[in-house]
Amino acid sequence: MSQVIDDASRVFLPGLVPDALAATVDVVEHEAMARDTFRLRLRCPELARRIVPGQFFMVRAPGRDDPLLGRPFALYDVYDEDGVPAGVDFGYIVVGKLTTLMSGWTAGESVEVWGPLGNGFPPPPTDGHLMLVAGGIGQTPFLAVAREALGLRRYGEEPEASAPGAVPRIIEHRPRRVTLCYGARSRDYLAGLDDFRMEGLEVRLSTDDGTAGRHGFVTALLVEAIEGGDRPDAVYCCGPEPMMHAVQQICQKHAIPCWLSLESPMACGFGACFSCVTRVREGDGPDDWDYRRTCVEGPVFPAEKLVF
Amino acid sequence: MRAPFDTDTRPRKDSLRLTPRKVPQQPIVAPPVSRLAVQLGRLKLANPVLVASGTFGYAREMQAFVRFERLGGVIPKTVTPLPRKGNPPPRTVETSAGLLNSIGLDNDGLEAFIEKHLGYLSGLGTALIVNIAGRTIDEFREMAVRLDEFPQIAALELNISCPNVSCGVDFGIDPRLTAEVVSKVRSACRFPVLAKLTPNVTSIAEIARAAADAGADAVTLINTFQGLAVDWRRRRPVLGAGFGGLSGPAIKPLALRAVCQVARSVNVPIVGVGGIASIDDVMQFLVAGASAVQIGTANFYNPSLAERLVDELDAALAGEGCASVSEIVGTLQFPGDE
Ligand SMILES: Cc1cc2nc3c(=O)[nH]c(=O)nc-3n(C[C@H](O)[C@H](O)[C@H](O)COP(=O)(O)OP(=O)(O)OC[C@H]3O[C@@H](n4cnc5c(N)ncnc54)[C@H](O)[C@@H]3O)c2cc1C
Ligand SMILES: Cc1cc2nc3c(=O)[nH]c(=O)nc-3n(C[C@H](O)[C@H](O)[C@H](O)COP(=O)(O)O)c2cc1C
Repeated sequence: MSQVIDDASRVFLPGLVPDALAATVDVVEHEAMARDTFRLRLRCPELARRIVPGQFFMVRAPGRDDPLLGRPFALYDVYDEDGVPAGVDFGYIVVGKLTTLMSGWTAGESVEVWGPLGNGFPPPPTDGHLMLVAGGIGQTPFLAVAREALGLRRYGEEPEASAPGAVPRIIEHRPRRVTLCYGARSRDYLAGLDDFRMEGLEVRLSTDDGTAGRHGFVTALLVEAIEGGDRPDAVYCCGPEPMMHAVQQICQKHAIPCWLSLESPMACGFGACFSCVTRVREGDGPDDWDYRRTCVEGPVFPAEKLVF
Repeated sequence: MRAPFDTDTRPRKDSLRLTPRKVPQQPIVAPPVSRLAVQLGRLKLANPVLVASGTFGYAREMQAFVRFERLGGVIPKTVTPLPRKGNPPPRTVETSAGLLNSIGLDNDGLEAFIEKHLGYLSGLGTALIVNIAGRTIDEFREMAVRLDEFPQIAALELNISCPNVSCGVDFGIDPRLTAEVVSKVRSACRFPVLAKLTPNVTSIAEIARAAADAGADAVTLINTFQGLAVDWRRRRPVLGAGFGGLSGPAIKPLALRAVCQVARSVNVPIVGVGGIASIDDVMQFLVAGASAVQIGTANFYNPSLAERLVDELDAALAGEGCASVSEIVGTLQFPGDE
């Protein structure tokens, strides 16, 4: 379906996804997850077969000029039919033009998608304790991350994949423990708690208003774990920028390897427009940074590389 | 899954097959000329569908979506003499049926372009048009001299129209400076020269005439319209740099107006650009007076569109009984025209 354009003579820059595809696909399911928050299921086997946790795809409403551009959404999970990947789920919160329109979509609706895009989270980096820190809708990448880390599901191309441009996903570490720290504004915004109920995943909640879990920011759960002698060996984080900045600092202070997934607004998702840039450190000096495209060099960056 | 949204589900027409060909007596040296071939001054293109600078990256980004050899040509992102970090984000914001951007010519400079991108771009099997911007006329000339070492380049497009950088001088709003930059570049290299003009002027025809008189092979009309998005609650512009340039379907009537005004008053080939997103849009630009078109913002949300338009253009011309693109260019009739 996607045209992988020829041969070895083409150099692939890191991050570019040479076999991304663009397709018109059907909405298969649409259901509420929490307040203003929904899960959409799209039938799209080619995308489902390749996408890995932390990667994203663009979604667009066909045949209109407003909203005009696609919008990026992270993979929530891949679903199977007859034992093979058949499509993708994503979770979204209604904030603006496209997400408002999307909330009216029903099964059978045709939508445009292109992906898989971006680098995704690295395969689990530790055999020890992996902690996932999610703020608000930033929780969406972590269902697939947790399932992969716990060995409950494989994502991406099989290691023996031989399609040109295919990058197999090789899993070398199996974390002994996976913990999700998940914070939201209030109880009714906590989404997908049933999905996260899986063997081996420990879920710790916080809300800004104290209506569920710990009263306060999710970063407090991270600090509590570290200071309570339950130090993670690696942290993956996604959420609003101030929260990610805080997590970066906490992990740096305690020398914990950390990866952050950015939610920079994007126009194309595949590197053509240069709008989703973020400051990435190039050396040790305070001004030693350059703007890099979140869509192709991210959205996941080692925390120490980012200049907030 | 159904067919990709950007691929016509009808069987593809082979453009060559539509033109009956005699068995050649001699070996073919040049590829057979189809009805789609166009000529812009000294620049020959296999077809008139190009992709606009700044909307196609350095082509690599598009490799999953486009077979480059099907396009009339590729125009990579503007290159400047030295590296530029570009403007602070947010660099784009969507507006009604449009996109406001202020990228700020983020690029690694001419030498890095030559080292990192030129090789790849030279192998795409389509015309490579390098878009350059300098802060002074000398910088434009020096870039042309350096690029003249690379004969695989088909043409230069001069970006004298970017609304998002304060280059000191806005060449494209002054007919005298426009003429000077065009003639200096023309004499500094052997390439055909396209002058890309800004619509943010009182009379674009006057600027186009200056470019044509100075020897431009064609004028590219238009770059983005200066605009502003306001976050009124924060009392701040939405874009990090403040003002931006508007593109996309919202500007199509404005771009068509510019093309038509120049076509009716200046004798110079026109490359039309602004909001093109369908074959009807392409036909409108051709009829209004453009000899070729560039696809811009639409690449972002319909990444295979440009390639598909080549096929659709061939079919549309056939449908109109045209044996060449030039038969339809500038056929727009105003009330009162003969
Ligand atoms: C890699 C990635 C993955 C993502 N995954 C998810 C996900 O799984 N689920 C999810 O719900 N969301 C996700 N997002 C965020 C999601 O893309 C946005 O919420 C979505 O684009 C909103 O679209 P909209 O048309 O509804 O909103 P819009 O109408 O586009 O705008 C929404 C709000 O953002 C503001 N805004 C728009 N553009 C800008 C800008 N350039 N700068 C500052 N403010 C701006 C608007 O003023 C408005 O308040 C992800 C983003 C990225 C980059
Ligand atoms: C994000 C973005 C970046 C652009 N960058 C450049 C550029 O570097 N050089 C240039 O000459 N034009 C640039 N343009 C202008 C386009 O090439 C084109 O002239 C304009 O967008 C109008 O066409 P459209 O409406 O089809 O996009 C840019 C446009 C956009 C949207």
